[in-house]
Amino acid sequence: MSGRDPGMGRSLTRTMLVAILAVALVGVGATWWQVVDASRLTTSPDDAANVAAARTVVRGVIRDRDGRVLAASKRDANGEPYRVYPTDAMTAVIGYASRRYGSAGIERAFDAELTGRRDPDPIQDILDHLDPSRTKKGNDLRTSLSLPLQKLAVQLLGNDAGAVVLLDPRTGEVLVDASTPTYDPNQIADPTADPAYFAALRKDPTSPLLPRATLGLYTPGSVFKIVTAVAALASGAITPKTTFPKQPRSEKSGLLVDGYRVKDGHHDFTQPKALALSEATEVSCNIFYALAGLATGGADLVRWAAAMGFGGSIPYDLPTEVSQVTSGKGSAPGGFVDRVELANAAYGQGEVLATPLQMALVAAAVANDGVIMRPRVVTAVVSPSGAVTPRPAEVWVRAFGPDVAKPIREAMTLAVEGRYGELFTSGAKVPGVLTAGKSGTAEIGGNGEPNSWFIGFAPADDPQIAIAVVVEHGGSGATRASPIAGQLMRAYFAQAAQ
Amino acid sequence: MTAAAAVAPRGIVRIRPRLRRREAMLLLIVCAVLGVGGLSLGMTTTDTVTVAGWQLLVIYGGALVAVHLAQSLAGRRTDQVLLPTVGLLGGIGLLLMIRLPQDLVAQDLGSLHLGLAQLQTVWLCLGLAVVGVLAVAVRSDAWLRMYKYTWALAGLTLLVLTFVFGIDEGGARLTLVVGPFSGQPSELLKVILVIFLAGYLAEYRPLLATERTVIGPIRLPPLPYLVPMLAMVALGMGVVIVQRDLGAALLFYIVFLVLLYIATGRTAWVGLGIALGAVASVALYLAFPHVRERVSVWLDPFADPLGAGFQIVQALHAFARGGLFGVGLGAGLPEIAGNLPIPAVHTDFPLAAIGEEMGLAAVLGILALYLVVLERGLRIAAAAADPFRALLAAGLALVVGAQALVIAAGDLRLMPLTGITLPFVSYGGSSILANSLVVGLLLAISDRGIEAPAPPRTRGPVMRALRRGRG
Repeated sequence: MSGRDPGMGRSLTRTMLVAILAVALVGVGATWWQVVDASRLTTSPDDAANVAAARTVVRGVIRDRDGRVLAASKRDANGEPYRVYPTDAMTAVIGYASRRYGSAGIERAFDAELTGRRDPDPIQDILDHLDPSRTKKGNDLRTSLSLPLQKLAVQLLGNDAGAVVLLDPRTGEVLVDASTPTYDPNQIADPTADPAYFAALRKDPTSPLLPRATLGLYTPGSVFKIVTAVAALASGAITPKTTFPKQPRSEKSGLLVDGYRVKDGHHDFTQPKALALSEATEVSCNIFYALAGLATGGADLVRWAAAMGFGGSIPYDLPTEVSQVTSGKGSAPGGFVDRVELANAAYGQGEVLATPLQMALVAAAVANDGVIMRPRVVTAVVSPSGAVTPRPAEVWVRAFGPDVAKPIREAMTLAVEGRYGELFTSGAKVPGVLTAGKSGTAEIGGNGEPNSWFIGFAPADDPQIAIAVVVEHGGSGATRASPIAGQLMRAYFAQAAQ
Repeated sequence: MTAAAAVAPRGIVRIRPRLRRREAMLLLIVCAVLGVGGLSLGMTTTDTVTVAGWQLLVIYGGALVAVHLAQSLAGRRTDQVLLPTVGLLGGIGLLLMIRLPQDLVAQDLGSLHLGLAQLQTVWLCLGLAVVGVLAVAVRSDAWLRMYKYTWALAGLTLLVLTFVFGIDEGGARLTLVVGPFSGQPSELLKVILVIFLAGYLAEYRPLLATERTVIGPIRLPPLPYLVPMLAMVALGMGVVIVQRDLGAALLFYIVFLVLLYIATGRTAWVGLGIALGAVASVALYLAFPHVRERVSVWLDPFADPLGAGFQIVQALHAFARGGLFGVGLGAGLPEIAGNLPIPAVHTDFPLAAIGEEMGLAAVLGILALYLVVLERGLRIAAAAADPFRALLAAGLALVVGAQALVIAAGDLRLMPLTGITLPFVSYGGSSILANSLVVGLLLAISDRGIEAPAPPRTRGPVMRALRRGRG
């Protein structure tokens, strides 16, 4: 055997072809990161070049709705600026900006504005890019947040994990975006602080770094009945006067849906009368809502929930988690597995999951005649020279009409002000102000206490604020969430009166 | 029978200098590229017209020319493209080391304090010396061909030594320290493995292509296939378990499978090898948390951008900043509080730095250079006098090419990152010396003047018996 081997020549040629293919594949990968997907990475606040550039820039000041400072800058021993925060009640929304750990919250979402990387004035922005020698100063941010209300929210949540969203349904301005447990952003932003603090936060089983109002997904329980009411009325499945003869008959033993028993047990005092929307909402009748949901059908329930934001992300100033009516694994209309899941979903159990922000927007939609304003925190960007670029209110969606909103507003008013209603929402009522709302006691499986919920708005006849409160393992809605909502709304109106 | 045997009469050593025109031209281009690169870097970092690290570049260029001259004077008819190709790769790596902070790696030799680029220059010159000596001095391959089991034993010993005496660095037991010397044995191991596989496959090739092992009704590939196949899987898993070195294990296995294919031309057996490898990978994934972590970081590095995903995320950002033509040598890689965003930029991620400062164009260029190395190796294989040399040449080229592809794909998040070096570009003595060994051997067997292969030895008694047994 000598000279060239005929058998190997072919294998060698093929090996070369495979090698060329492999190199081409890696080349395509390089092209992806360096050209196709490059701008997403290079504009990110995590990009090392941006982080390095930001070190020398004094970030703008973030203020609350009354001009109180929420985030400011100091200089360290080397003259390099770093962030200081007067409170730890705001961290869920303001976040932090750190040289070591990057950024979070508004500090992250508005990094370009705060560091002056992006000028709110488009012409100025182009000039800045043409002349890089221009000294960059950060822009200030004006927010709609209320420091005293947010502090109160955190204080009321106390040692419990939970979240509060309070917003103006007429403008979408968010006054409270609170999440507990909180953490101290100064210990992250201060370059001399102990790194163990952040490391411990990351490992903490109570997830303090999770902004629960926007990224926390909870089973909503009975507060979701408002969504079902919207879907049932808007789709024409029920009218405000509709009653279900089956409902009073089933109160004792439960409503049988395909072999599954929907239990109620909350309101022996109303039977044997068949309830319509208002009374059913007042006493939080699971059976009424299960029947209303079944009458509406899965497809319409999902469709009308989607009109209010379910199934998609909310165009908020911060990233939001996607709320869902069903996990969509089933083949029944709307993606439900069967009628049992639909019946359970209609009163907020089953596979329903929602963020506190989403539920606050449901309340806001009812309060504002079905029109949901885009929720926002930052109301204006103020340049170093003092030029103010406002971020005005804008309509996000017109989810449903006033004819749907009106009966639900009345039902929710009854749920707080009514004779039976106040038993379910005790503490939510604002003295002297007509208050509307709905409490929820969300069973979460296992042996733990249920999550305590409340959503509502006030004044019921001319809503100025809408609210959502969730307290993890807080028990029934009336135990924890309703009083917290009541106190916050009271504080708001007390402040407004001054 | 062969032409070479007729030309070179034994006993008379004649040295006839020979002009190597093509190599000279290519080296001229390499030197020009490095000069321009140094000038660009110097002008960016100092704002004056200077060539950054010109002394080091001159030393390196001189060493390249010296290897060229040594081969010319000795009249060697070796491949003329390989040296300039790896010379350019090494030069680009050296430019990068000149550009990086010099205290990334530092060593004191007596009163001499050597920084990153100076050490890299030392390693590159030592590597070129290895290339030169092998290309000029090796006139026979008998020492490689005859002792394949001795080589295998040496390789296994190296592995065991690493396990027993190795020290853990960055979660992997890769480094062996003997007295004042330290090195990464897996780099040497890959060369030894190729030598052994070339010898083994060349010997059992005819058998592999025809025979079957029959156990009752089951027809399996022949025993000479099965035994090394299982041994390789075991070796690969051993390297992962013992050294926690996923990259080396993957590299060994790829080289093995491709050599097996080249030797036999049977895709089905390669397929079987891939299937076996996949099963082994799954087993390793389930059994070892460090393997699982690598995979989860690869699937979503942005899930933990400050922890496990930090380096790869920063590398992707660096690639993105580079764009088509880069931000310019010396203008990228922002330091944050005196730290580079990618701590292992000089070892695992030189491609990211090149991608940032010289752009996609340079990344594609570097990939093309490795393709040239592969092409030269396979060409040498195709022209080789016998199967052993062919398999040796192909295997050596594959070791370099596959390693480059594995780390490049890891840097670019096309596959899980494995901590192996980018051959000739990355910082590191073990890597540069081992890859120089590869190039030196490739040059030696490419020489048409090398001694003709010895006649094939008779097969071992065991295999003879096995063959007889089945008729």
